[in-house]
Amino acid sequence: MFKNIAYFWMTLAVLLLDIFILNQLSIAMWLRPMLFPLIVVLLPMEWRTIWVLITSLVVGLIMDMSLGGAGLYTATLLPMAIMRRTILFVTTGRSVEAGDQSSLLSRMSLRQLMIYVGGMLFVHHTLFFILEALSFGALLQLIATIIFSTLLSLLIAWPIVRLFTSKIVTK
Amino acid sequence: MHRLIEFIKRIYVLVIFIFVEGIALWTYASSSPYTEARLLSRTTAVGGAISGAITDVGHFFSLPEQNRTLVARVAELNELLQSREDVTEGVVADSLLHVNDDPQFRYRAARVVSMTTNRRRNYIVLDRGAEDGIAKDMGVITPQNELVGYVVSCSEHYCVVQPMLNTEFSTGGRLVDNNHVCVIRWSGASKYEMEAVELSVYSEPRKGMEVEVRSERLPAGVLIGTIEDFELNSAKSAYSATISIAADMSSLDNLLIVENRHYGELQMLIEQNEQR
Repeated sequence: MFKNIAYFWMTLAVLLLDIFILNQLSIAMWLRPMLFPLIVVLLPMEWRTIWVLITSLVVGLIMDMSLGGAGLYTATLLPMAIMRRTILFVTTGRSVEAGDQSSLLSRMSLRQLMIYVGGMLFVHHTLFFILEALSFGALLQLIATIIFSTLLSLLIAWPIVRLFTSKIVTK
Repeated sequence: MHRLIEFIKRIYVLVIFIFVEGIALWTYASSSPYTEARLLSRTTAVGGAISGAITDVGHFFSLPEQNRTLVARVAELNELLQSREDVTEGVVADSLLHVNDDPQFRYRAARVVSMTTNRRRNYIVLDRGAEDGIAKDMGVITPQNELVGYVVSCSEHYCVVQPMLNTEFSTGGRLVDNNHVCVIRWSGASKYEMEAVELSVYSEPRKGMEVEVRSERLPAGVLIGTIEDFELNSAKSAYSATISIAADMSSLDNLLIVENRHYGELQMLIEQNEQR
């Protein structure tokens, strides 16, 4: 059974970290890390898509209400719920089978886990920054923002991912 | 029936996703005029081609009517040209010659691709874009020289116009008879009426008085409408008036986009002045 408590604490930590720390940072225009997609990324793989979609909606709404996103956070997080299994398959070659997927994340190799998390963050950040800018006028800056922000997000997210997946195994 | 239920079961997640995503995008688009105009112009770039093809059929059948309007306009312009030639005959009129050599205002014809009039924030999409030299802040008028709105966003082939029928629309106005200025805006109450506010107590408005645009984006003489009703505010410091819109905003088709070639220079000057 999936470790709900570990998941709850991870969700809370990520939301607080994002809203109160990462969002307040102004390192550079092209460096804006975001961790909240992790909540969807690390959801149990055996969950039905509808529940992942509902979770994405709730997380998106919390982010929008907290940071005044006016739907931007929700609009960019919802596609992650739909694309999650596809991205998992594309990045790691693993497909989700019915029945025994309760700890798929913890059974992945570190390399596979990093590619999957990085891929999900990259797709999310691409959607987010394109929708935020709504213009390809400054294309180089947009690309730089997506790449560097994804890398920094992954760097900050990695310890959380490791801690979380180890909790799943040990509990 | 059983197959239908099975089909719905198969696609219901996708349907819910599209529905919720649509609401999220709509909320985001409505959050500011920028996002609204940008998203509208992006979606229009795709939908515009389809919509354009459909409207082309409509344009074909309205050609006789359009021809009559154009012929009338050509006649009117010829008349104006003739009167200017008469004035300048034998006399060197530098100002007129200068205007002819280097016109400050450039006109481009455009056709309506799609438009709304039943919302509080209406928009019009025209079939001219950045590729045709269209840019933000250009004025849009009817061939009869009546104000329609201003360009707020452009894609390569299309532009989005914020018409007068938009609660965020605002422009300067001028009473033709006495030059008193006012602010023109739309309350959203009627698609045939605008509001003129901050009219001086000395402006002596009256019913039927014409109101023109007073903006650096458009030349003088662009008509907004005529005063329908007016009242002095409770502090007796200014008039507000209801203006009957001159242009028929619900049946726009061929329009003119007006470029003030000195607009950038004027804006720079205004900004410099504001920074002092």
